Amino acid sequence: MAAVQDGQMELDAEKETKPEVLSDGTSNLSGSTASGTPLTAGGAPTQEDQQTLIAVLQFLKRNKLSDSVEILRREAGLGDQEDSQTLEGSGGGKGDGGGGDANSLLSRVSIPSAAAPQNTPTPATVKRADEQLDVSVVLSAYSQQGDPSLYQVYYSGLKNFIESVLDCHRAELSQLFYPLFVHMYLELVYNNHESKAKAFFEKFGGDQECYYQDDLRILCGLTKKEHLKGNEALLDFRTSRFVLRISRDSYQLLKRHLQERHNNQIWNIIQEHLYIDIFDGMPRSKSQIDSLSGSFAGEARREVNKVKVFHGLLKEPEIEVPLDDEDDEAENEEGKPKKKKTKKDSVGSKSKKQDPNAPQQNRIPLPELKDSDKLDKVMYMKECTKRIRLNPENLPSICFYSFLNAYQGLTAVDFTDDSSLLAGGFADSTVRVWSVTPKKLRKVKSATELNLIDKESDDVLERIMDEKTASELKILYGHGGPVYGLSFSPDRNYLLSSSEDGTVRLWSLQTFTCLVGYKGHNYPVWDTHFSPFGYYFVSGGHDRVARLWATDHYQPLRIFAGHLADVTCTRFHPNSNYVATGSTDRTIRLWDVLNGNCVRIFTGHKGPIHSLAFSPNGKFLASGSTDGRVLLWDIGHGLMIGELKGHTDTIYALKFSRDGEILASGSMDNTVRLWDSIKAFDDVETDDFTAATGHVPLPDNSQELLLGTYHSKSTPVTHLHFTRRNLLLAAGAYTSQ
Amino acid sequence: MASPKTVPKDAQVMMQILKDMGITEYEPRVINQMLEFTYRYVTTIIEDAKIYSTHAKKSNVDADDVRLAIQCRVDQSFTSPPPRDFLLDIARQKNQTPLPLIKPYTGPRLPPDRYCLTTPNYRLKSLQKKVSSSAGRITVPRLSVGAVSSRPSTPTLGTPSVQTVGTKVGTPVSLTGQRFTVQIPSSQAASVKSVQNVLINPSLIGSKNILITTNMVSQNSSSDSSSLKRKHEDEDDYDAL
Repeated sequence: MAAVQDGQMELDAEKETKPEVLSDGTSNLSGSTASGTPLTAGGAPTQEDQQTLIAVLQFLKRNKLSDSVEILRREAGLGDQEDSQTLEGSGGGKGDGGGGDANSLLSRVSIPSAAAPQNTPTPATVKRADEQLDVSVVLSAYSQQGDPSLYQVYYSGLKNFIESVLDCHRAELSQLFYPLFVHMYLELVYNNHESKAKAFFEKFGGDQECYYQDDLRILCGLTKKEHLKGNEALLDFRTSRFVLRISRDSYQLLKRHLQERHNNQIWNIIQEHLYIDIFDGMPRSKSQIDSLSGSFAGEARREVNKVKVFHGLLKEPEIEVPLDDEDDEAENEEGKPKKKKTKKDSVGSKSKKQDPNAPQQNRIPLPELKDSDKLDKVMYMKECTKRIRLNPENLPSICFYSFLNAYQGLTAVDFTDDSSLLAGGFADSTVRVWSVTPKKLRKVKSATELNLIDKESDDVLERIMDEKTASELKILYGHGGPVYGLSFSPDRNYLLSSSEDGTVRLWSLQTFTCLVGYKGHNYPVWDTHFSPFGYYFVSGGHDRVARLWATDHYQPLRIFAGHLADVTCTRFHPNSNYVATGSTDRTIRLWDVLNGNCVRIFTGHKGPIHSLAFSPNGKFLASGSTDGRVLLWDIGHGLMIGELKGHTDTIYALKFSRDGEILASGSMDNTVRLWDSIKAFDDVETDDFTAATGHVPLPDNSQELLLGTYHSKSTPVTHLHFTRRNLLLAAGAYTSQ
Repeated sequence: MASPKTVPKDAQVMMQILKDMGITEYEPRVINQMLEFTYRYVTTIIEDAKIYSTHAKKSNVDADDVRLAIQCRVDQSFTSPPPRDFLLDIARQKNQTPLPLIKPYTGPRLPPDRYCLTTPNYRLKSLQKKVSSSAGRITVPRLSVGAVSSRPSTPTLGTPSVQTVGTKVGTPVSLTGQRFTVQIPSSQAASVKSVQNVLINPSLIGSKNILITTNMVSQNSSSDSSSLKRKHEDEDDYDAL
């Protein structure tokens, strides 16, 4: 019901604008055809009035006001014959006399009567009106359009204009081509001008940028209106406004031209479907534009990326590290080892004052530390002291875990933080957990046996384990489809797995059984990730949303909706207050856990994004996609600050080293590449002026930043992990061809 | 790939579709899968259309029937994710509630038991039948468990042996489709009957609601044998597992 009402309201709006549109269209038509108005026998109204009347007629017909239609037709002296002839004439004889809705309406009418367009359109019109109102609101706005045969003319006119402007403006205005092309094509298809649509596509489809070619291939398969209805991605493209960033000068040029030429069709499309974000500054060069474009909805508006993001890290809790022989005597603050090598030190040194970029401790509720967590932290700090310092001269060693006999079924891998367990998710819906260390995996004893052990003994934690079940490998059965995402909890108690069956399962690593199945996505869940503090986890799937869950709630706590296509990669920020999601619509969004708002949109990839990594200091984000590039983003300013070219295939694994000095990327081209991230982040200057324009000049220094390329024989790299001592572990499934 | 001469025409059409959509590398099985899907889909639609046309008492199947068949199937099998505005709406609603506070350490943080997979999703009903005092009567109960088919086993507490089943009051029992031979000691004729209470997960119970009856007899002897008499509800469920 709501849809119908909306449809009517939209029709109302259309009615208001329609007379203007058509009158403008008329003047345009007369301008372009440069022919006198072929009026019928004297006393007929002018072209403009004719068009207006026809518009009103259409509206009345659509609303089934057939009596009014008759009266109007009688009084205005219009007959159906005249309608079609007038429009035909005004079209300059081009095409099959197709004209606005009037003709498409009338041609529908003529089919049942199988004669030249006649009147008494009542039943057919009623049916047509019903159809139109039934069609979703989203598509109905397409009915406002001009003469389809002139689309090619408009487009070529624009093309000629853009080619004639100054070089500096040309690159910016060329951004218009793609969205205009798609919208005009879709309008033609919607109004059933199939042959014209095909001709339009053939003529101008090849001109578009190469990174849009995949979309265009899908588009050229859509030739009928029915195809449009089922295609969610296109409907979203239609409703969300394509964002273009154009400098003020170029925009003035464009506006002046369009208003001179009365190319109102294009102007309408721009006003309705495009959002032009005007900035003051130098017009951008082609390479700058290319680096940021590529997503479904154009670029991101600048004000979207202006929200303050707390990208700092949370304060580490102060823990007493028991002094033993290894640690130095001289410790200045509690729990701080003398050798300051880790990120915690930088935070600890400011422990007296609050980092302005860090969120409050209690901004989101976080679980408090248990005793076992404190013990873990002590272990962690001890390991940190033994960490290898990495730099361009001192590259990490790489240990590669190849999965044999996986028959291309390995779909997800994860390591625990202390690198003791390795889990693999497979296409046969199993999850297999291996122990990386010589220590075997054991299950907890049953309740009867647990009653019998001595609870006060020192090694109670070993006694609760059942020796009979010790094995290297544990297989977890339960999912109903391939497992696409895996994530260990930071305290090594739980493992999460997300699968094509739409559920996310929580497994206990003490009993190796499934504890909970979180149902919410009803479509494949492509990725899941535990928060760095445990308790929360995020999952993203085919239903285009990411959900935030807590392990003790069976329903999600937050739903992050906004992407135009599947969410393929989800990651928590190190301070657990933000979630980054990468999607098939080639954008990366950063969401605030507190209120579910999208705080950053990063565009620039030319393919679906499959990997994300936050730098350990929380300031930067690296992303990899099917186009083989790694892009680096400054979260605070919301800008792209680096582009790492080198891989030739999809990048599925990205990881920063423990101190953020090296970025490792693994890809389907069987290589692991190491990049110098300190240099990449240092080179960037982000002052307020450049930040205001929304883009920063990118140095083309991928070659300098590449520290090493390491090939495996024929094993694509699925996962990367830096141990606490900065040894790089890689995992992938050996494919024998 | 087979040479074009020996490839049937339908397969050639599939190869052409893949080529048109720009897919150049694919396993040969993909063609077979596409053919199978097409055949299955088309026959389903045509069968449905035939049903609709006979229902409308038409002699032939015409385009309207096919259209109706397609429409009905689309809503069933080819569902697509909800539209964007709907998602934005529910996201807005969901995101308005503040994040719940976390209770201090309360053991593993899991949802309420009915949403977890940690306990069996069936309950053992008490059997009010009097225990017969005839010694040596051995019942051979058969077990049928309905909805716990594909789940991994819950933490097991003692595997049931052939002779007796060792359980304690109030503990969940993992029941697999096994045969139990139960001995009813005659000495326990006049004993207290208690109902074994196991948590039930109605959300996880499928279409077959199996209630398994038991007669839990508590004993005071050291031997931990108790008799459990199980009444099978549906014979054929055991085979259907």
